[in-house]
Amino acid sequence: MSVADLVKTFTFYEILVGMKATITVFIQRIILRNRKAITLQYPHEKRDLPGSYRGMIALLKYDDGVEKCVGCDLCEAACPSRVITVISAEVEGEPAKRYAKEYYMDMTRCLFCGLCVDACPVDALAMTKEYEWARYNKRDLRLDKPQLLALGDRNFPVREKKLEFQHPNVAYFNIGHKNLPHKAS
Amino acid sequence: MATHELLLLKNMSQPGYSGSLADYERAGGYQALKKVLGKIPPGDITEMVKKSGLRGRGGAGFPTGVKWSFIPKDHPGPRYLICNADESEPGTFKDRQLMERDPHQMIEGMIIAAYAIGVRTSYIYIRGEFVLGARVLERALAEAYQAGYLGKDILGTGFALDLYVHRGAGAYICGEETALLESLEGKRGLPRIKPPFPATHGLFQKPTVVNNVETLANVPHIVNRGAEWFASIGNPPKSSGTRVFCMSGHVKRPGNYEVPMGVTFREIIYDIAGGMRGDKPLKAFIPGGASAAFLMPEHLDVKLDFESVAQAGSMLGSGGITVMEEGTCMVWAAENLLHFFNHESCGKCTPCREGSSWLLQILRRIDHGKGKMEDLATLTRLCGNIAGRTVCAFGDAEIAPITSTLQYFRDEYEAHIREQRCPFRSQPAPELISVGR
Amino acid sequence: MAEMVTILIDGKPIEVEKGTLVIEAARRIGVMIPHFCYHPKLKPDANCRMCLVEVEKMPKLQTSCSTVVAEGMVVRTNTPVVDEAHKSVLEFILANHPLDCPICDQGGRCDLQDFSHRYTPTGSQFTDTKRVYEKGFFSPLIEKEMNRCVSCLRCVRYCDEIMDVKALANAARSTMTEIVHFAGHPLDCEFCGGCVQICPVGAITSRLSMYEFRPWMMKRADTTCGYCGDGCSLILETRGEKVIEVMSSHGNGRNNGDLCAKGFFGYQYVNHEDRLTTPLVRQADGNLHPVTWDEVLPVLAERLTQIKLAHGADAIGGLISARCTNEDLYLFQKFMRLAIGSNHLDSTARYGHVNAARALRRVQGTNRWTVSYEDIVQADALLLIGTQVTAANPIVGLKVKEAVKKHGATLLTLETLVPSIETTSNITNLSALHVAVPPGRHAAAVRGLVKAAFDENLVDAALSSRAGDYVSRIRAAATALPYPEGLDEAALRAVAKAFAGARRGVILIGQDLLQAPGGHESAVNLLDFLLLLGKLTQPGWGLAPLTEENNEQGAVEMGATAEYLPGPADVGDAAARTQIAGAWKDQPPASQGMHLLEMLDAARAGTLKAMLIVGENPVRSLPLSAKAASALEKLDLLVVQELFLTETAKLADVVLPACSYAEKTGTFTNSEGFVQKVRPGLEPVGDSRPDWEILSSLSVMMGYPLEYGDAKEILKEIRAVIPGYRVLGAKPEPAQVAAKSVEQYLTRGFAEDLPARYSAGAAPKANSHRWALAVGQTLFHSGAMSTKAQGLLELQHEGKLIMNPADAQRLGIADGDRVRLTSTSGEATVPVTMLGRIPEGTLFFPESFREALAGLPSMTPDPVTGVPYCKQLRVSVDKVGTGGASSGPPPARIAGGK
Repeated sequence: MSVADLVKTFTFYEILVGMKATITVFIQRIILRNRKAITLQYPHEKRDLPGSYRGMIALLKYDDGVEKCVGCDLCEAACPSRVITVISAEVEGEPAKRYAKEYYMDMTRCLFCGLCVDACPVDALAMTKEYEWARYNKRDLRLDKPQLLALGDRNFPVREKKLEFQHPNVAYFNIGHKNLPHKAS
Repeated sequence: MATHELLLLKNMSQPGYSGSLADYERAGGYQALKKVLGKIPPGDITEMVKKSGLRGRGGAGFPTGVKWSFIPKDHPGPRYLICNADESEPGTFKDRQLMERDPHQMIEGMIIAAYAIGVRTSYIYIRGEFVLGARVLERALAEAYQAGYLGKDILGTGFALDLYVHRGAGAYICGEETALLESLEGKRGLPRIKPPFPATHGLFQKPTVVNNVETLANVPHIVNRGAEWFASIGNPPKSSGTRVFCMSGHVKRPGNYEVPMGVTFREIIYDIAGGMRGDKPLKAFIPGGASAAFLMPEHLDVKLDFESVAQAGSMLGSGGITVMEEGTCMVWAAENLLHFFNHESCGKCTPCREGSSWLLQILRRIDHGKGKMEDLATLTRLCGNIAGRTVCAFGDAEIAPITSTLQYFRDEYEAHIREQRCPFRSQPAPELISVGR
Repeated sequence: MAEMVTILIDGKPIEVEKGTLVIEAARRIGVMIPHFCYHPKLKPDANCRMCLVEVEKMPKLQTSCSTVVAEGMVVRTNTPVVDEAHKSVLEFILANHPLDCPICDQGGRCDLQDFSHRYTPTGSQFTDTKRVYEKGFFSPLIEKEMNRCVSCLRCVRYCDEIMDVKALANAARSTMTEIVHFAGHPLDCEFCGGCVQICPVGAITSRLSMYEFRPWMMKRADTTCGYCGDGCSLILETRGEKVIEVMSSHGNGRNNGDLCAKGFFGYQYVNHEDRLTTPLVRQADGNLHPVTWDEVLPVLAERLTQIKLAHGADAIGGLISARCTNEDLYLFQKFMRLAIGSNHLDSTARYGHVNAARALRRVQGTNRWTVSYEDIVQADALLLIGTQVTAANPIVGLKVKEAVKKHGATLLTLETLVPSIETTSNITNLSALHVAVPPGRHAAAVRGLVKAAFDENLVDAALSSRAGDYVSRIRAAATALPYPEGLDEAALRAVAKAFAGARRGVILIGQDLLQAPGGHESAVNLLDFLLLLGKLTQPGWGLAPLTEENNEQGAVEMGATAEYLPGPADVGDAAARTQIAGAWKDQPPASQGMHLLEMLDAARAGTLKAMLIVGENPVRSLPLSAKAASALEKLDLLVVQELFLTETAKLADVVLPACSYAEKTGTFTNSEGFVQKVRPGLEPVGDSRPDWEILSSLSVMMGYPLEYGDAKEILKEIRAVIPGYRVLGAKPEPAQVAAKSVEQYLTRGFAEDLPARYSAGAAPKANSHRWALAVGQTLFHSGAMSTKAQGLLELQHEGKLIMNPADAQRLGIADGDRVRLTSTSGEATVPVTMLGRIPEGTLFFPESFREALAGLPSMTPDPVTGVPYCKQLRVSVDKVGTGGASSGPPPARIAGGK
């Protein structure tokens, strides 16, 4: 055993290391009388959230107000806890164009892992920084499409151009064809 | 240079020769047929053609006699002889002249060939655009039937042959023999997978021989004057006989010239075709139709025979020699050719279908001054991916202009990209004409 | 035994038959060579260039889909060169392929997607503009997205090689190559869905299920189709409570992955909103009101018991649809015979198949085919009599096409149709010898065939010496008749001669023969024909009656008819009764049961007091003149188990909701006698229950418990009772002709009805109605169920009278005009369309829309088998109106999705 180790043993060095934060704050607060608050008076005060904060999930729209979602179900497939239910269909009046007729997110189950956002091929999903979503009735946390779109509108006021204007060479898809009759049902 | 005897173009170069049966007979026509029918056994004709060293004049240069001998001797049921008159190669126009000006020469060749391989029904598949050629052939066939050279009992020998003219519908690919057969069967002209080869499973799945117009036109001469005589012309043993070369491009006297194989490019360009237009220096030339790779001035002393041209890295092909003078933009030349190939790609197999339009888009971009240096690597890679991976030889043909120009004129491509414009032109490139859609 | 060659693939040796393709050989050792255009069903085309492999001693890469194995061949599929080639082909395909996988229905089961994941990097060097096709309307049921097409031409080749329809073609050149149909109107073909199934990418998809699913969401159930007797294997793909689509995979089932329009597009009736979901009981106000099972079953059991006590068991009758499973059918007859104690029961096999089944049993001792589909494919002569095979039994039709097109069989047809090139395939186009037989004259044609056997000296010498009496008496009877008037005598003789000269031959008979007067006799006569040729007992030969409904064969074998006990065995057969009684621990009633028409008569007379009808709708199936409705109204109690509130169910006192085939477990027996599994894809809709379950609970309530835990237990009992069900193999084992039965028939059996069988029959009555009208199956509909399937309604939404264009021109009738038909028993007004395949002087009307004919048809029962004949009639035609609303598209197509 070296001298250094011996000293460490006698001075309970590991314990000191472990209590580093406590000791620092103790010295700052009590000894140096630095009284700057570190707790927040939530909900009157709120923290600044990091840029990568993962809050409520929202559905987005393009700049012309058309919802981005093409109803591809990939978010549903990616979701590890079966939060998402997508029912896709042909857009009314625009045959051959696909969209999510119904879109549900059961936020009670959501892990906020963000896999759905990664899976979305058209960037229709985004994680907002909203988090105050406590509800008395947990059924209120099963969000439908209008609610999710409202979340998006609220949190992302700047909308993207349509995909076909962003990538003219590759994004020719999901186009409605008015010359076609609507799908039989 | 020494003058030489004309074979195929001899009749039509006589003043006043109309191509009618009377004129042809006056010039010694149908003597070969009379010599053959009922007198020489069919097998001997095939032997004779084999011995003559006659090779296909359509492009691939396959020995004709060998092709005939592939037909199963004991096959029951019909067999067919097809004359491939779907001459659509850019820069090639020999068959057209042979058919329009001296149709009986070819018909006589066909009858002899039919006799040699035991065919009762034969077709001339003529390119749809050759309206005059088709009319001339129809008239010539009528004359031949009238004179008893065709029909149930030819020249009283009991040999029967029916010959039909079938007009194509305007597809380059139908010059490919299996696509031609499909088209002749009434289907869409798409090449078949080989094997089986037409020799066993051809038209209507029956043994079939497909020969080029010029090839067949040579047959009466071989019969008339013997295999040894024929084998002594040109550059035997591999390239015997004469060939009709189609001179086009920046030469003083473009046109069809019949020369014995083995003359050099220098002779044919500078002596026979009169040299370069405006005596400008030669930049490059295509030795054998649009599907052949470009050759350079240093190849001028290459002999015009199958082996020598192949050794120089190109092919004798269909005999269409296109000459380009100094100042011609090679990127544009390649683009022009590829425009043709893209339009004519039949769409059957993936590399050619998708590759041709991709290549064309890149070339067009470079030509229009929007190219990137990476494009050259992409061009090379794509050409490599098309080569040898398509159903028919079309894929190899369409990349030949690009690979050869990239090989010899890489600096020109680079100049286009560097300067973001064509160094040879101040005007924007002319729009290429699109036929059809 | 085929010659074998050994080749080396990736270092692994494998021995395969000579002529095998390299790609197939590789597949056998688990080496998957990527491909698009290759499909084992189709001839190689080698156009996608995806399957390139290295073959030693060959300079270039070879396409493994077109390279045939050769002894000692060394193939490498995973060298860098090959890998590079795969990548390059994918790169070319992806250059113009849109990146729309997220909205593509094929996404998740797409070959291109899979190969891309395996071979290519995520980026593309293609920076230019992608090709875009203008989108046109392809068809209401099939969606075409050409931007996704890889031009493998599988669809075009399938349509030509397998279906013989040739509705698709590739057009244009270079990158703009696209798959087109004959333009000017939406796709008009057989709608077999083959192109949808065979497309490796999402270029051709089903518009019916478009955007409703992702492949990974769906549950799959391997089951058997419930439309015709062909017994196709289906994969029901369901999501939640809905059938999303139907598929069938290559190599699967008797159909080998091929389907018809009914199978592929006709599944939506299962989820139809009109499905019954609760039991309904007629209450004091005279209307049907929903009740629960707990309420209805005790009351029903009590009523049945009361009637049984008051009027005896014979006052109760039963009728079951042959679309039910074997388990349902078996339990139904057991319920009727034991719990009720009545032999008055019948199934819809009575509408025609009983004719054939009785004939087969009588002569060859088994009611089953002595051939299988493989024998049809391998036959070198096929004789089709009154089958309309493409419309009624499309998959057997495919087997016939395969036999003719691939194996060069001689097709002989005695059909109502005439050859004519149209948008759908016509089997008579392929026939070597065709005899045009007007509706109702098939029986006469069969008699002519037997006569021709004598006139052409085709009779087997061995038979003549062995059963001289039989031959001479048949000869006397058959040759005494003249050849049927109006049929081509020479052609008939040529047909007999060609058939007799074959090495293997199968006679296929269909509804035009069996559901026409003389149907039973004709079936026996055809067996005479086979006997006379000396072929009946030879392998590969046989008489094959095709069934209209999926389980008619099963209905006969389960004993769900008045004359048969399970087996089938005659009700009076003492040995069979003992055996059954042993299994049932109870005696089945000995009385002779009444068949359907007799039951209706008894009901009318008041002797039958109650009827239990399962899944059948006699009010609609029988013509008005049969007066089924008034007979059923007279009953004290009418119980109907149904999917929908049918005409019959509307008359019922109690309606019980039953499960469709998509919700049931059980088995179907197809027309070749092959027993196949039915597996549920869905939970029962609403409160509906499988038929057997309803009957089982009813029996418990009635104090005669026939209790089973599940359908499998019933199958176990069936296996114990019925010989053919003991071993259910992967492939059908054709029944053998029982030598004893044949002997018996040759010595005595044939004579009993000889004069009746060989009498000229009632010649078509010359009356003022000069048109022969046949009511029959069409390609797009089968029975009434299909008219609830939206997909099929898109194809055909109303019954149109079909006539020959020449006839129509003569009468000044255009497509869509309306005509009034008048027969001796009524009149009806229907729209008209034209088809060249309907011979002149003949009319055809689709059976599924028979209600439009109202009182037009009359009915003649068969004196022996009780089969009601109502499919052929004579009518007059008068034009009453032009065009109009009825010719337009169905309203649903415009109204759009909900």
